[in-house]
Amino acid sequence: MVAFVELDGVGMTFRGRTGAYEAVRDFNLELSEGEFFCLLGTSGCGKTTVMNMLAGFDTPTSGQIRLEGKPVRGPGADRGVVFQGHDSLYDWLTARDNIAFGLRLRGMGRGERRAIADRFLNMVGLKGQGDKHPSELSGGMKQRIQIARALANDPRMLLMDEPFGALDAMTRAVLQGELSRIWSENRKTVLFITHDIEEACALATRVGVMKRGPGGTLKAVVPIDLPFPRERTSDAFMASFRQVHELIHAEIHPHA
Amino acid sequence: MHSRAATIIGYVLGFALLFVIWHLASRYLVSSVLFPSPFPVFERGWVLLEEGLLQESVWASMRRIIQGFLLGSAIGIPIGLAIGSFRPVRLLLEPWTEFFRFIPAVAMITVAVIWFGIGEESKIFLIAYTTVFVVVIATAAGVGAVGKDKVRAAQCLGANKFQVFALVALPATVPYILTGMRLAMANAFVTIVAAELVASNDGLGKMLWDARLFMQVEDIFVALISLGLLGFATDRVFRLLIRAFAGRFNPTM
Repeated sequence: MVAFVELDGVGMTFRGRTGAYEAVRDFNLELSEGEFFCLLGTSGCGKTTVMNMLAGFDTPTSGQIRLEGKPVRGPGADRGVVFQGHDSLYDWLTARDNIAFGLRLRGMGRGERRAIADRFLNMVGLKGQGDKHPSELSGGMKQRIQIARALANDPRMLLMDEPFGALDAMTRAVLQGELSRIWSENRKTVLFITHDIEEACALATRVGVMKRGPGGTLKAVVPIDLPFPRERTSDAFMASFRQVHELIHAEIHPHA
Repeated sequence: MHSRAATIIGYVLGFALLFVIWHLASRYLVSSVLFPSPFPVFERGWVLLEEGLLQESVWASMRRIIQGFLLGSAIGIPIGLAIGSFRPVRLLLEPWTEFFRFIPAVAMITVAVIWFGIGEESKIFLIAYTTVFVVVIATAAGVGAVGKDKVRAAQCLGANKFQVFALVALPATVPYILTGMRLAMANAFVTIVAAELVASNDGLGKMLWDARLFMQVEDIFVALISLGLLGFATDRVFRLLIRAFAGRFNPTM
């Protein structure tokens, strides 16, 4: 049986004026359909590079990436992306038109677009905010719009690059809860990039810990076998947190 | 509403103060027939309005500005978009813009008159010339400044190259285009006066020149004030346009 997503000996070496930089080396991972995989690593470990290759923004210099058995070549509507900053939203469109952007690209009619966009506005808790422009929304609301925009396009999987990284701690916790609820409802396959251990343990069905860069690669994969919604103060959660923490700690303080 | 009222009052008071200082200066500082007080200037302006001469000159100049400006923008925007979007086009055309933008329109007046005569064509050519390069550079810069994530987001929502251009790059560039056009409009005012001073049968520049010949100092001042007011009004219109199309998502403009 073919895995839903396969990263097969993937490597990425950037060549610049200052020489070559090997960001990712021999990265192997298989994702099954419907799982929420968090890729956790310190800054500069290459986790965003992995996501960019899966999204099709960068082409691996070695190895191959396959989605449902087909090699990934360039970006496509089967992989929805939620970006870290909200610079990816279209400032000249309303929240609703941002969410419906992918549907418009497919030539869907206005009425149908509107109905779908409103459904996803409700899903991300922004009912009645559809006529506002991004500049009128808070940072947390903008990330909700990004999530709704990616989901409204009904991709095969979702790629999220530290989507809550720029938010304050309170908003971040709220959005983590919302994302967990949405995922529990639709069970889309998710690859979620983060450097926040608690975030990874709260959201993921499996957490992949990366080695330090350069030449970042997967160090270990930890299954988090806890029911949703997760109780962050429970002993079981703490145990998972400790387990992941020890793995990542060795990468932060390699000589300790 | 409060702040809008304050803005208008500020402008009215500002202009009033300008005329007060002008009056005092002409009365006590430089009392000379060559520097009239605002009152005879206003009187003269009123007479010219009643005779319809002022409107005629204003319209002659504005018509040329608008025609040349629209022509220049219509040429400049697509070229700017092409330069910003396609590297070969940029490599090919950038030397042109970098070369021509240092040859001021004023220096082109002589060629324009030789080629097109002293009628409308030469003025429209000069205004279009002075507009084109500013608009090209602003538009190309706008295309280059489109956020990488905006393009990527469209690509992974399924956009093809044309859709990325038409639905992302183009709307994201509109504020830059409008800003370039606003700057070009200021250039157009400089150019039209210079062109009409040198070779024209009507317009505000011609009015200035004739007034100098016949020592009608009031007429000179009427023409100068008209230019100031026209430029002020046009710039307001542009600021409103920029706000309507772009201010919503770019409060700095």
